Amino acid sequence: MTTSDTGSGYEAGPPTADDLRAVHFTPASMLHPGYTDREVDAVLARAADGLAQLTDENGRLARENVQLAEENARLRAQVQGLQEQVDAAAARPSPSDQAVGILATAQLTADEYVAEAEDFSRQMTSEARAQYEEQLTAAREKAGAIIQAAQEAGAAIRGNGIPVVSGGQPESEELQEQVAYLKAFSQACRVQLRSYLEALLSDVETEWGRAHPGALPTPPRGTRPQQLERGRPDVAFSANATADDTEPAGAVPASRSSS
Amino acid sequence: MDIPAMRASFAKAAAHGDQVPLWFYSHLFLTHPETREMFPVSMATQRDRLFAALGEVMSRVDDLDALVPILQQLGRDHRKFGALAAHYPAVGASLLATLEHFDEEWDDELAASWTEAYGLIADVMIGAADEAADQPAWWEAEVVAHERRTLDVAVLQVRPRTPLGYLPGQAVSLEIDQRPRLWRWYSPANAPRPDGLLELHVKARDGGPVSSALVRLTRVGDVMRLGPPVGHLSLDTDSDRDLLLVAGGTGLAPLKALVDQVARHGPARRVDLFVGARTEDAFYDRADLHRLEQEHPWLTVTPAVSQEKGAPAEHGDIGDVVLRHGPWNSRDVYVAGNPAMIEDTVTRLVHSGVPMARIRTEVFAPSRPSPTLDGKVTE
Repeated sequence: MTTSDTGSGYEAGPPTADDLRAVHFTPASMLHPGYTDREVDAVLARAADGLAQLTDENGRLARENVQLAEENARLRAQVQGLQEQVDAAAARPSPSDQAVGILATAQLTADEYVAEAEDFSRQMTSEARAQYEEQLTAAREKAGAIIQAAQEAGAAIRGNGIPVVSGGQPESEELQEQVAYLKAFSQACRVQLRSYLEALLSDVETEWGRAHPGALPTPPRGTRPQQLERGRPDVAFSANATADDTEPAGAVPASRSSS
Repeated sequence: MDIPAMRASFAKAAAHGDQVPLWFYSHLFLTHPETREMFPVSMATQRDRLFAALGEVMSRVDDLDALVPILQQLGRDHRKFGALAAHYPAVGASLLATLEHFDEEWDDELAASWTEAYGLIADVMIGAADEAADQPAWWEAEVVAHERRTLDVAVLQVRPRTPLGYLPGQAVSLEIDQRPRLWRWYSPANAPRPDGLLELHVKARDGGPVSSALVRLTRVGDVMRLGPPVGHLSLDTDSDRDLLLVAGGTGLAPLKALVDQVARHGPARRVDLFVGARTEDAFYDRADLHRLEQEHPWLTVTPAVSQEKGAPAEHGDIGDVVLRHGPWNSRDVYVAGNPAMIEDTVTRLVHSGVPMARIRTEVFAPSRPSPTLDGKVTE
């Protein structure tokens, strides 16, 4: 057999177009003109296989193509839908100037109300704060003054018994008044007590003198004015002194032993 | 993108002042009513903010290196508001409609430029938000302690339900149920702790809706929402210099967090903390500062009273008291408090020889609704 260089007659796989063009069949024999039938059969078989394979392939591709076309149409529709949405969004009918104007006015009104409310709140809070701070300052000043007065009074009391308060502060004036009142009160008490005691003493003296005028020992009687003189500053002492006078002899040792 | 033309059209709109954002939001809410609930009832401050932000973006639109990080931060931070990628085209459409409304020479070319610019901005913001998607958009946190320390200062302990990472000195924004959609910034007064607790110092501002509610209405068991942390007052960890910390009012919070950081993580260094207040009663955190001072020999706390005489604390403006204890030339300095106090203290310190580069400040002012585009949480 003389075929193409490739010797395609016996090769496997689908023959290519070039293979087919290059096919040469060997004349069979002098008796039987034509090609060797075995070689022809082989080539035909290969061609048939190849064709079948290609037909299958073609069918598959055609089906795929249909599917792709469908897919494409679906996507196209989807894109169109999206595009319509986008267009609708971008090119929504532009509102009329009148509509824009009305909304703008409404918005401004709302803004004003909000601003007024905020302003009102600002006023209220700042007034409340001012009042609070005023009261706080006043309270603090008052407290400061009271503390100062107390400290001064304390210092004065520590310094000496009689407070010498420098005037000016209301609290120290009050203190001064109280001190003066107490002084006057003590003076009055002193005077009253003294006159009462003097009266009592003279009464006692009188009664005692009436009771046992003759039994009275002379020395105590003579010392009584002196004792009274000493006892005068201390009312209680002079009262005791007078009481002691009744039993001078017994009282003195008893008080010594007890002390 | 014709940037000069865009700037010109923006300037035309800006000339109309508050009318422009008012028109913008009305347009947005009419076309997309679902966006309304992302905003508070009163839009007054919101309008200022939007325009300030847009102005900043416009002024930097040709400096992308500076603009991109800002936009990324904005994008991340907007997650807590519930902003989704789908909202960005809506905002863009209303923005263009607004610019067109206020520009009589509006044309297709300008519209194309603005569309392109807005597209870039939105892409950067959405991209940053997506990158942060592994983090929660906000953290729910439960109030576990609430102490009224003075008439208008409360100290709260809150526990986030999922861990919230932050650097000491940073601030987090928060929203409470009583004041929906009003986010305010507060600095935790501690470094992150193993138990996750955050200590918040809140001073009720007169008429301040959120601060007053936090001090007077918030109770143990309430749940608040916290946003992602931001802020620049963090400790320079490359430096091991001793520290001078100067706090006025609740400016104490971030500085106390720095003290806590030194205590937990070092490096060991001397720390002098000065705390200023108007009156003796206003030292709302005295007991805890005293405890810290007892625990840490490297810490010295000096209270200073500016208005009340005869108090046991030192008398005088805080800046003055700080200088009396100087010199501080070798220290890293952190100052937090109201603007006047900061200016006074920094001026005095610089005057006394402290290099400006070593002074960091954090202004505590009423109503701190959001960080600026630079990421500062205060004005």
